Amino acid sequence: MDLFLARLFDGLGSGATYAALAMALVLIFKATTLINFAQGELALLGAYLVLVLGVEQGLPIVVAVFLAMVITAVFAAGLERVFIRPFDPSDHLPLVIVTLGLFLGINSVAGVIWGHGARDLPSMFPDGNLYSRGVANLSWVTVGNVATVLATAGALYLLLNKTKIGLAFRAVSSNLESSELVGINIGRTLQFGWALAAAVGTLGAALAILTLFLEPTVMLRVLIFAFAAAALGGLDSLGGAVVGGFVVGLVRSMGVGYLDFVPSELGVGAAVVVIIAVLLIRPTGLFGSEQVQRV
Amino acid sequence: MTILDVQDLRVSFGGIVAVADLSFTVDEGQICGLIGPNGAGKTTTFNLISRLYQPDSGSVDFDGTDLLRVPPHKIAHQGVFRTFQNLALWPGMTVLDNVMVGAHTRSKQSVLSAPFRFGTRREENRLREEAYAILADLDLAEHAFKPAAGLPYGTLKRIELARGLAAHPRLLMLDEPATGLTNAEVTELAELIRDVRDRYDLTMVLVEHHMAMVMAISDKVVVLDFGQKIAEGTPQEVQANPEVIRAYLGGDA
Amino acid sequence: MSLPKRIAQGGRNHRLYLLGSWGLLALLAFLVPFLFAETFAPELFGNKYTVSLANVNKSLAWAVAILGLTVLTGFSGQISLGHTFFVGTGAYTSAILVEFFDWPYLATLVVVIPMCLVIGLIIGIPAVRITGLYLALITFGLAAVFPSIPKIEQLADRDGWNTGGSNGLRVSKDLETPSWLPTNGIAEFLQGIPLIGGMFGSDGLPRRGADDVYVYFLLLLVAAIAFLLVRNLMKSRPGRAIIAIRDNPTGAQVSGINPAAVKTIAFGISGILGGVAGVMFTMMAQFVGPDEFTTNLAIFFVVGMIVGGVGTLGGSIIGGLAIVFVPAWAGQTETLPIADIEFGAEFGPLILGVLLILLMFAMPGGITSGFRQVRARLVQIIPRAPST
Repeated sequence: MDLFLARLFDGLGSGATYAALAMALVLIFKATTLINFAQGELALLGAYLVLVLGVEQGLPIVVAVFLAMVITAVFAAGLERVFIRPFDPSDHLPLVIVTLGLFLGINSVAGVIWGHGARDLPSMFPDGNLYSRGVANLSWVTVGNVATVLATAGALYLLLNKTKIGLAFRAVSSNLESSELVGINIGRTLQFGWALAAAVGTLGAALAILTLFLEPTVMLRVLIFAFAAAALGGLDSLGGAVVGGFVVGLVRSMGVGYLDFVPSELGVGAAVVVIIAVLLIRPTGLFGSEQVQRV
Repeated sequence: MTILDVQDLRVSFGGIVAVADLSFTVDEGQICGLIGPNGAGKTTTFNLISRLYQPDSGSVDFDGTDLLRVPPHKIAHQGVFRTFQNLALWPGMTVLDNVMVGAHTRSKQSVLSAPFRFGTRREENRLREEAYAILADLDLAEHAFKPAAGLPYGTLKRIELARGLAAHPRLLMLDEPATGLTNAEVTELAELIRDVRDRYDLTMVLVEHHMAMVMAISDKVVVLDFGQKIAEGTPQEVQANPEVIRAYLGGDA
Repeated sequence: MSLPKRIAQGGRNHRLYLLGSWGLLALLAFLVPFLFAETFAPELFGNKYTVSLANVNKSLAWAVAILGLTVLTGFSGQISLGHTFFVGTGAYTSAILVEFFDWPYLATLVVVIPMCLVIGLIIGIPAVRITGLYLALITFGLAAVFPSIPKIEQLADRDGWNTGGSNGLRVSKDLETPSWLPTNGIAEFLQGIPLIGGMFGSDGLPRRGADDVYVYFLLLLVAAIAFLLVRNLMKSRPGRAIIAIRDNPTGAQVSGINPAAVKTIAFGISGILGGVAGVMFTMMAQFVGPDEFTTNLAIFFVVGMIVGGVGTLGGSIIGGLAIVFVPAWAGQTETLPIADIEFGAEFGPLILGVLLILLMFAMPGGITSGFRQVRARLVQIIPRAPST
């Protein structure tokens, strides 16, 4: 029982970070129906900004995270303007390639500026555990992670459903052409999506670094699980991203823990198998909307 | 002799009955016109026969084979081919290649033989020659080596017809072949359809809005309204049918 | 003479044109190893760019991997970000068979080809249902899983054959130039040519790297066969079916093409090519390790395919060269005239990323399409109607 609880807490904690990044991916997907491969690297950049502001400049960590979110959002909006907007939004391949190019570029820049050594970030949450029982510890970090992700999801829900820009965003994501006809500024709205996604991604990275070390390759490892979470939940469903994140986190901790024949190296493998199984039954994820094709 | 026998075909989408217990037969060598106002279920009937939609009930018998038991991609193997209202060509391929794909069921090269060219060259040449001959037949030879993208709509319609002929089907279903054509072109098309039927030994079913053409070339006409058959017979019989006149003009004519 | 020059297909001029262009290409392919055996290092802006034959050999392997991706993504329209799974499987299988069972390198293809075919088919079956970006994400997951597989204890620390775990597996058997292949003689002959002989170095082949020339020719042969077979396939009925499914599934289906079967087979063929590329990698590197087959490499394959030109066979070769040499040269760039910065190896991916984005702006169809546009201004082949 203790072991089960330990694995549950572990899965929830890591699942929260996957959920945060998956939400960022879903935001971009909703806006542009493409996957932003540079999402993880933008978040990485955000995490390094937290390092600079919070550790080197000595700002309070919460302030540092907030500032990093704002800076990456502005940066992402700039990227969107310079690299994404010149392309035809309905032709996906060049756009995906541009995000791959950004992925390579940002990752390399981060390595050049901050080196390849592992760094540690101060925690936003108190040390110690909220609850302990045998080997099972529910740390404040885990609680904080889960709470932050749920709060973010709630905030995004309100933003998208109760504000004007949110309405525009939903209109663009459901029908690009009609939105243009009713006078929505498509470019601005997509830019908003990029900025929002970058901010959410940075928050996710700041949470992920609480349990991992900050190094240039760290986000790639987290990103795989975030991809899995987004695919599982459905690429265009924010709620799905949250659920997917937690499911993937739990599959990883439980799968590796309980199934003896799954070596710990194959945590990713367990996640991939689950996604394939789910997608075979529902090709657009648990909560994704189905694509209708007309003959 | 009856070659296509549709019995009690029915399909509904979300509670709306698109085709209601439709029955009709087509004799071998006939040209059968399927007409009716917009939304009468003509194209839906095509989609059911070519297995793109799954009917709720009914049967489609083609020369002794129950087509509803045949998977969609095997319909062409049975000798049934169709064209599309909105075209289903491959814009990136040359016109000649488009037509050659139509001959898919009539060639044997496989992934095992093709890479090594085990006896495939002769077949490939034969297909190429035949495809070119069909294009020449339809006055399309000048376009053979152009990519399909960018050709005028009327030309593309004929290319789709050429693709159908390359399959050597026994039943060819044309979905609105005259749409978007000028009057002169329609006259030409009408002649072409009759001509093609005779020379390629075809049975044809066509959905068409261009009444003059349907009446001119059909041996038989089936009239649909709201998914139901309201009349069936020779063009003269159908034109005199009060039900048909009412469906087209509305009210009590 | 006015351009473009128009040449009738099948005529004498056309035959000359084909003979000339393919002959030139063959001559170039023949000369390459002798040019680069002794490190060939052009200079630009004060930076020395080395072209080692080992890197050329690696490009050949990656060209075949990208060819596999071209069949799958370019022709069949199924996105894969996981081709390292096939390449890694092929490479590891080949390395284990050579190292522990003393098989000849090329003989391992007999095992690798069916193995990767089966894996490709197994992945291809769910891919019929799971399409687009969802497929991209799943295959990316496979790429992420692969490096963990050789590290599994049961495979890494077993008696008899093993994968070598995190340290990788070195293959001790060398590919030695057979005595009948006079590579050294050819090198001396080329070096003896007046005026241009100096480009080929001096005193025959250097001892180190002499066998690389042999490996080059072996890999060139394998790659040439792979390209020829794929070319034949794509110019035939199954090839047309693959493209027909990609561009208009409905039209393909009514033409009698089975979409599920064709898409699955495309995955299988693509898997085979990935496996062959893996064997080629083992031949040139004589080493396999988990860090060789990362998600980054999987992304590089996609990048290479796009740089070369999606859906073009020749583009695969350009792509293979690009993903090996651009990062290598980027790493060797110390100064650039645009800014006074010290560059270094870490800038490799940055420069590749920038080039990638620039290419999308300038030549969205890839280098092959750019090449074709230039060629179309010079030469135009008038197709010939088949005689009936």
